Amino acid sequence: MNQIDAIITHIQGDENINVVSFEAAGQPMRMMALALDRSLKTGARVKLGVKASNISLGRAPLGPISISNQLKVTITHIDTGKLLSSVKFSLGKARLESIITRDSLDHMNLQAGEEIVALIKSSELSILKRL
Amino acid sequence: MIEIAVRKALIGSNGPMKLNVSLEIAEKSFVTLAGESGSGKTTLLRILAGLEKAEGTITVSGKKWLAGPRSLPTQKREIGFVFQDYALFDNMTILNNLLFVNKEKALADHLLDLTQLSEMKNRYPGTLSGGQKQRVALCRALMNRPKILLMDEPLSALDPAMRSKLQHDILKLHREFGTTTLMISHDPSEIYHLADRVILLDHGEIQNDGAPKEVLLHVKGSQKFSLTGELLEIIQADVIHIAIIAIGQQIVEVVLDEAESRLFKAGDTIEVSTKAFAPTISKAKDKVQR
Repeated sequence: MNQIDAIITHIQGDENINVVSFEAAGQPMRMMALALDRSLKTGARVKLGVKASNISLGRAPLGPISISNQLKVTITHIDTGKLLSSVKFSLGKARLESIITRDSLDHMNLQAGEEIVALIKSSELSILKRL
Repeated sequence: MIEIAVRKALIGSNGPMKLNVSLEIAEKSFVTLAGESGSGKTTLLRILAGLEKAEGTITVSGKKWLAGPRSLPTQKREIGFVFQDYALFDNMTILNNLLFVNKEKALADHLLDLTQLSEMKNRYPGTLSGGQKQRVALCRALMNRPKILLMDEPLSALDPAMRSKLQHDILKLHREFGTTTLMISHDPSEIYHLADRVILLDHGEIQNDGAPKEVLLHVKGSQKFSLTGELLEIIQADVIHIAIIAIGQQIVEVVLDEAESRLFKAGDTIEVSTKAFAPTISKAKDKVQR
């Protein structure tokens, strides 16, 4: 699973539901969550997780879009399979991977070295642990 | 080939029922019988062993074990039987427990060696752990070189580490002796590791029959991750609803939209499922915050 180190910048919510904001490699991120562990406070350092199959890729400018996490990243490597492709990119020190269909890769004509936007819905992001 | 077509009236967990099973089992295969208690698994094993009467026929490699009123006595059936509670003779040494079946000392030594019990052969069962006792019972069941090895939940009383060791021994002996093995088990991990085939019994009839992964994989449409649970409560939080669900010994939460929240009520038995892509796994000590 993809892991991203981040700092909690804000927690909004109540006992049952929360929206947590983070900063990761200078970029804002946001997570939708049910009840949170009490040890999580603004300023805490955490490791975030997101499955490779839950990261979409786009090219700026995106226009209005509901996806909270829009990370500017640079493609480092692409593995092309018969049906699927794995696109690797880095966000600060984190090395991340997105799994998309081969059709999407071809349709967008993605290339290594290109700057793109990694899109993660706030409901697909989780806190793996407190650092 | 082992051909079984037997019928017997039984008292099941929900009153009278009829055991009615027809199946063919390839020689040297490893078959597990699964199903809820009272589904007829133990009765089927006991019928095969000749310990219970039934109507129908049992043919093993062309030889009739059961044909109408004629039934081959248990001692002539070339079977080994392993019970959950070991059933060893406490007043005999380990070695003598084996030699009681058959005086072949070389075979007894070989079996004890294969299961790493040689050093204990002069001890009495009372001084052994549960896992060691069950290994002795397994060796004893193989002393008459059975064609069919029957085991009724042999590992269910053991702790997980000992289970895994015994699974390994069972498989080793099954292969070395070329037995056809029928084992009753409820443990999916055990079934997956040992069996070529699982037969699921329900109320005395075969409900499912196939490779362990086909029979045990709990699917819901194309969703390969599916668990059965009990809905405890639905609570509202902001514009979403949270279902609190008991699955096994654990409680989990699932987010519902408004339409879904109206379809279910507390006490409902429900399927919790998702695509195989969605769940994440980690070593059990790390907790994931969602």
